[in-house]
Amino acid sequence: MSHDYKMVQWNPFKKRFDVWMLSGIALYLVAFVALTYATQPAGNSFTPIQAMIRATGTLAFLMLSFILCIGPVARFTHRFKPFLYNRRHIGVVTFLIGLVHGGLVLLWYHGFSETNAFVSLFVSNPEYGSISGFPFEVLGFIALIIMFLMAATSHDFWNANLGPGTWKALHMGVYVAYALLVAHIALGILQFEKRPIFFAILGTGALFVIALHLISSIASLRLSDRIGHEGWLRVAEVHELEDTRAKIIRPVDGDAIAVFRDGNKIAAVSNICRHQGGPLGEGKVVDGCITCPWHGFQYRMEDGQSPPPFTEKIATYATRIIDGTVYVNPKPNEPGAPQAPSEIGVSA
Amino acid sequence: MSQDDFFIGWAKTPEIDRRFMMGAGLSIITGTAAVGIGIAARQRPVGPGTWNMGEVREWRGIATAEPYGMLRTLDLDGTERTALLGCQGKCGVSAKIGALAGKPVVVKGSLIQRGRHTMIAVIDGLDWIREDPEGSVDGLAFPQPEPIMDVSLEGEILDTKCWFGAMRPAQGKTHKSCASLCIRGGLPPAFYVRDMKDQTALMIMTSGGYGHNKDLLPYVADPVAITGRLQRLGDLFLLDAPVSAITRL
Repeated sequence: MSHDYKMVQWNPFKKRFDVWMLSGIALYLVAFVALTYATQPAGNSFTPIQAMIRATGTLAFLMLSFILCIGPVARFTHRFKPFLYNRRHIGVVTFLIGLVHGGLVLLWYHGFSETNAFVSLFVSNPEYGSISGFPFEVLGFIALIIMFLMAATSHDFWNANLGPGTWKALHMGVYVAYALLVAHIALGILQFEKRPIFFAILGTGALFVIALHLISSIASLRLSDRIGHEGWLRVAEVHELEDTRAKIIRPVDGDAIAVFRDGNKIAAVSNICRHQGGPLGEGKVVDGCITCPWHGFQYRMEDGQSPPPFTEKIATYATRIIDGTVYVNPKPNEPGAPQAPSEIGVSA
Repeated sequence: MSQDDFFIGWAKTPEIDRRFMMGAGLSIITGTAAVGIGIAARQRPVGPGTWNMGEVREWRGIATAEPYGMLRTLDLDGTERTALLGCQGKCGVSAKIGALAGKPVVVKGSLIQRGRHTMIAVIDGLDWIREDPEGSVDGLAFPQPEPIMDVSLEGEILDTKCWFGAMRPAQGKTHKSCASLCIRGGLPPAFYVRDMKDQTALMIMTSGGYGHNKDLLPYVADPVAITGRLQRLGDLFLLDAPVSAITRL
């Protein structure tokens, strides 16, 4: 909802989540470094910085993999919605861990010489024409830049000022960053640590992320309902609509529509939340307002406007009920335009 | 889903979500830590090198600038011992030895050591080396390289400072950029070989008796084969080969 922009809109849940997250990160780093030292042969030991480079690198990749899994999993179970609600925090912290990793690499491997460390990053290994010899550090650097842009613009201020479309497009860059990181690992550390288990972990992780997205996409398409009736789209029988919940309709042309039932009222709005593009149709009517499952943004059923003092608006759609069947007009009204809900028991 | 089960971040967390998050949080943290531990426990051995940076002391001996900056000194048991010389960062010091080459000197720095391989990382500033008025060249003068045999070997070109202990690990693709910077900066390059029986050997690389530098950069940290002449220089082994004798594997 529109509000005074603060660095973080803290609430008790976010605080508890962050405590858990930071505790987990600390546990991982301590465990990784401790095992790195404990399992080396007698007399062998990593330098502390190189142990931290590996600890932060592996952690950042695991966290980014988890972040990418949150969205698809949340489509299958509402229980994952709390992770989705805090995904932004995980993303920013993942970037910071990646930044520590990159900073230590820049200092340790590219510093302490007359050559500028940033120049060294791009020229010390000139084998750009080779696959196995490719300067993998550059891939990680580009991924880190993308993650920086995402972390820097993750705040609602940027979402509001860039516009939802631009903001969403920018943040889809996470997939580019992830692909770059997979290549960064495959062409970097796995050219040195060549045990099959490491290739298996990387391959399994990346394939799991890809498979989840494919399955999620297919499941979303199943929600489509394109059966028309005089230009209107059939939604469902009235009794098939669960109270306070929605059915998502995907017209051949245009954005997906969320058709909600609240008691004996039926109303349709855009399925796309104005905040971060969350799927409103997976939300719920709470206190008479359609509530986004991602961050709890709310819109009134009758006009698609956030209740005062908030000012967000989404498109509304006309609905009608004929012989117990709900239909929606796929032509959207202007965002925030009043559209009286259909009432069950009252003919169209 | 009951009326109260819908999660809204700014509202009271439903009990079912609270319980799920507790279980899922513990599982994810435990699982991630387990993966991390599994990875950490299977890393390659990084070698037994050490660098006692805080222990700065002086060494007496004979300095030379060719093929690289080196100091020939006496070990505790009275045998001759050759220590390579490097700066605190990624640079050699041969160009700074100047007129002191071949003379008795006192060198100040900290020791980098891996087995019998040693390097002195000299302190910053100008007073890292001075002539030793009480020293003598007798018995410590650098001998001429002594040919042993012609060899063809497969292995990896790396920089001595990192491999001796400045970095751990100090080999392979992840260390390639660092090794390139070190060799470009004048630190002695070495050829590291490991045979089928896990026997290893390290030879300082030269070309026609002089030191390599930027000419080696295209091959650093990659698997390569070299045909050259194995030589002995006191307690050091040298592999003398021009860059044209190096082929990428």
